[in-house]
Amino acid sequence: MDIKEYIELVFSDYTLRTITLGTAILGAVTGMLGSFAVLRKQSLLGDAISHAALPGIAIAFLITGSKDSNTLLIGALVSGLIGTFWIRGIVTKTHLKSDTALGLILSLFFGFGMLLLTFIQKQPNANQAGLDKYLFGQAATLLESDVWLMAIITGICLLVLLFFWKEFKLFLFDADYAKTLGFNTTFIDVLITSFIVLAIVLGLQTVGVVLMSAMLLAPAAAARQWTNSLTNMVVLAAIFGAFSGVFGTAISASQNNLSTGPVIVIVASVFVIFSFIFSPSRGLLFRQIRFIANRRDLELQKTLAFMYHIAETHENISHPHTIKILNNFQGYTRKTLKKLVDKNYVTLDGTMWSLTEKGFETAANLYNQQAIKDE
Amino acid sequence: MNSAQIEIQLIASLVAIACAIPGTFLVLRKMAMISDAISHSILPGLVVGFFITQDLNSPLLILLAALTGVITVILVERIQKTGLVKEDTAIGLVFPALFSIGVILIAKNANDVHLDVDAVLLGELAFAPFDRLIISGVDVGPKSLWVIGIILSVTITLLIAFFKELKISTFDAGLAASLGFSPALIHYGLMTVASITTVGSFDAVGAILVVALMIAPAACAYLLTTDLKKMLGLAIIFGVFSAISGYWLAHWLDASIAGSITTMLGLLFLFIYLFAPNKGLIAVIYREKQQRIEVSLLTFLLHLKNHSEERERHVNHLQEHINWQKVRAKTVLELALKNNMILIDNKIVSLTQKGDEFTSKAIDYIITNEDAQIEDMKDDFFLFRG
Amino acid sequence: MNRIKIMKEPSEKKEIPASAGRIAVQVDDLTVAYNYKPVLWDIDLEIPEGVLMAIVGPNGAGKSTLIKSILGILKPIAGSVSIYGKPYDQQRKLVAYVPQKGSVDWDFPTTALDVVMMGTYGSLGWIKRPGQKEKKAALEALEKVGMLPFKSRQISQLSGGQQQRIFLARALVQDASIYFMDEPFQGVDATTEIAIINILKELRKSGKTVIVVHHDLQTVPEYFDWVTFLNVKKIATGPVKDIFNDDNLTKTYGINYKVSIQE
Repeated sequence: MDIKEYIELVFSDYTLRTITLGTAILGAVTGMLGSFAVLRKQSLLGDAISHAALPGIAIAFLITGSKDSNTLLIGALVSGLIGTFWIRGIVTKTHLKSDTALGLILSLFFGFGMLLLTFIQKQPNANQAGLDKYLFGQAATLLESDVWLMAIITGICLLVLLFFWKEFKLFLFDADYAKTLGFNTTFIDVLITSFIVLAIVLGLQTVGVVLMSAMLLAPAAAARQWTNSLTNMVVLAAIFGAFSGVFGTAISASQNNLSTGPVIVIVASVFVIFSFIFSPSRGLLFRQIRFIANRRDLELQKTLAFMYHIAETHENISHPHTIKILNNFQGYTRKTLKKLVDKNYVTLDGTMWSLTEKGFETAANLYNQQAIKDE
Repeated sequence: MNSAQIEIQLIASLVAIACAIPGTFLVLRKMAMISDAISHSILPGLVVGFFITQDLNSPLLILLAALTGVITVILVERIQKTGLVKEDTAIGLVFPALFSIGVILIAKNANDVHLDVDAVLLGELAFAPFDRLIISGVDVGPKSLWVIGIILSVTITLLIAFFKELKISTFDAGLAASLGFSPALIHYGLMTVASITTVGSFDAVGAILVVALMIAPAACAYLLTTDLKKMLGLAIIFGVFSAISGYWLAHWLDASIAGSITTMLGLLFLFIYLFAPNKGLIAVIYREKQQRIEVSLLTFLLHLKNHSEERERHVNHLQEHINWQKVRAKTVLELALKNNMILIDNKIVSLTQKGDEFTSKAIDYIITNEDAQIEDMKDDFFLFRG
Repeated sequence: MNRIKIMKEPSEKKEIPASAGRIAVQVDDLTVAYNYKPVLWDIDLEIPEGVLMAIVGPNGAGKSTLIKSILGILKPIAGSVSIYGKPYDQQRKLVAYVPQKGSVDWDFPTTALDVVMMGTYGSLGWIKRPGQKEKKAALEALEKVGMLPFKSRQISQLSGGQQQRIFLARALVQDASIYFMDEPFQGVDATTEIAIINILKELRKSGKTVIVVHHDLQTVPEYFDWVTFLNVKKIATGPVKDIFNDDNLTKTYGINYKVSIQE
């Protein structure tokens, strides 16, 4: 199947269209809210919440006996919120640190959820099959109504973001200051946290409990590398998230036997790796290039400064000296000398060098600037 | 109880002990989430190892998978060093990616690999007794029992050999370095042990339970003691207790053993979290209430010491200026009276000699930052606590 | 014995505000505790309008805590605070705050101008967005601290001194009557220090009250006209020329101090 066929299929095939739309919306909303989680240094909270949601799904099924995804999601939401607040309770009321609290809630809730799931599977009423899709997600089970739910929640989320943008930004950057300006920071905090929990729960059916946290982090971490504006970061994270969803769906749809969740996570991770390396301002590649260029400049300046100190002792600044004396100077190479000649700072005459007027002035300036900086 | 049941409980208990030892250090070093990362990211190593050896209990596979765990730790640290993302984001990025690779490898080779992703998460403890180790025709027991037994003995040997180093580097990395113990060596040593333990426990109890068995017993123990040796001992006891009681819970409910063990751990943690004598929720809330009143009392006594004007020492002043609600003001006054710290004469409050002495001492301790002394002093002076 | 050398102010006569003037900030019996350990104990403090005041004291003396509890960031366990006679909540538009530079994440994706604009959020209230008027005010404040050329810089690309100037500009935008600053000279270069103190002196001249948590005892007489000594308790408060002496320094720091004036 080539790409053109696939795209046609996305528009004509009901299931594929639903899945593609669903994962795209999901990626967008998690990317958006993930930016806040990353900036609040709560990256691993998402992991804990998604695991903590599992027993809620099982209990909701045990109580209602229904596999309707909305019912199960409410269960997930409740137990996700309980997990979140228990984490806070552990951190504020005991001397256990946040990493221990996260790990505890994550593993204990998940284990309890698995107990319930296996318990349900052994029940005779046989309606239970399919709950385990919440482990790794199965986008194929998305219905149009699920996508509508995602779209509505994303819409609400967007509206809240637009309304409270200023407050969110202020709170994320400087919560104490926000308080002195009269903003109710507890309200903002609860609002952001609740939406993060909601987004996670929304993604469980598609990506699964185990990998949901990556959907939250990866698009945001990738987006952060390309921009220095919060607005752009959130928009970019939404775009990266949506594309991860669409590409991930396409890849898993064209292969047998591949759950959508892991593939989407891999695609999102590729975005992250690409951004880490190739982002022009922060990326590792350009950083390395700048580092090497700086080092070369520094060597050049050092050599020039050394020559300046020698030339300074003579009345005629262009008095020639032998190249030999430079050999004692660390950082001097033939190459740097040639560069200095190219820049017209130095003239060469056999084994002798002399500073030009221009070279002397540049060196003197270098020296002055250094003196200012040292002050 | 048949022999299979005994073997299962034995394996579960050994896994619990093997996890509790490195887990205690992870919790103390604030690295609990690293165990979560390791338990997920060893999956690709496990799968590749399985391609090569075709045996989940092969030592080569265990080493290969453990190597992936150590690589994860290094990768996380490398990403942190670039400064491109914040501390914990690095962990959150690395392990889902590696885990996904593992899941996909399994899915793509479903025909060759008899690995089940569910089993990876949950383990197959119930089947462990059926995979026997046979040496020259003699059945010497289940393979997993041998695997975890060997790992446990290595862990215990290392623990005893390097106990002092581990202790110092956990509580004071700077001191450890100055004494010549390389913190990096101990760090990576611990990571290696944690990785190997995770892999060894993996097919018995699954990825998530490994995390639970590492963190929960240690966290429970940490709420009861701060002494390292006691903490290790308690963590081991809690681990073994949950392993055995969890097994019987699973037996009774006919549910996953791993899930049941975790649930028992959860209940145990909930119980200790609520009722631990000094650090449990109830004790903390009670103490906070007591301290709130006692700090208020101190505040009030100091106020009396600072002000000789009658206006400032009037009973009503407590509400007007010190800004306390009626109930609180009354509680504080009563406590001060009961302890003979103050006298009230015609609604004007003044310090007794005992109150004066107490206040001077308290402020001395606070200014010289010896807050701990105040608690001892309270025992000396107070007849009744808040 | 510690010796503090102080350059005597050249000729500029200091105007000591009349103590009969209005009280800008009044603190009554304020006690604050962290984890039920008192950090501030029964503080009574009156700050007259129009002073440029330093709060000095050793590490852990509760200097930042005092500011934070006046601003309502920390909840005291006893006592009350009033700004021009009313509680902080009713008067917060009269107050501007410069937190410690280290209290925020400077890698946050935002620009210098954006941070300064945050100073206008308080007067805007919930939901309303900043417009042209707010932007103009922010640009003026940037100009005042000499940071206009850096307005679109990402904040992590600024030097420590520049970051501090941005924080100062953010407070200036608030156009308040009382300014609270938590160690504004921490980790800044000499040029910035002079620039900041000149702005603070200018604020005082226009009748504002400025309260600064300060570390460097040597510069107290040169920069400030009012001083509060703090070490869990209030040791002393008043005009620098009256109370900045060996006795109070010794009481506050617990070491013998000798102030020597260099002519």
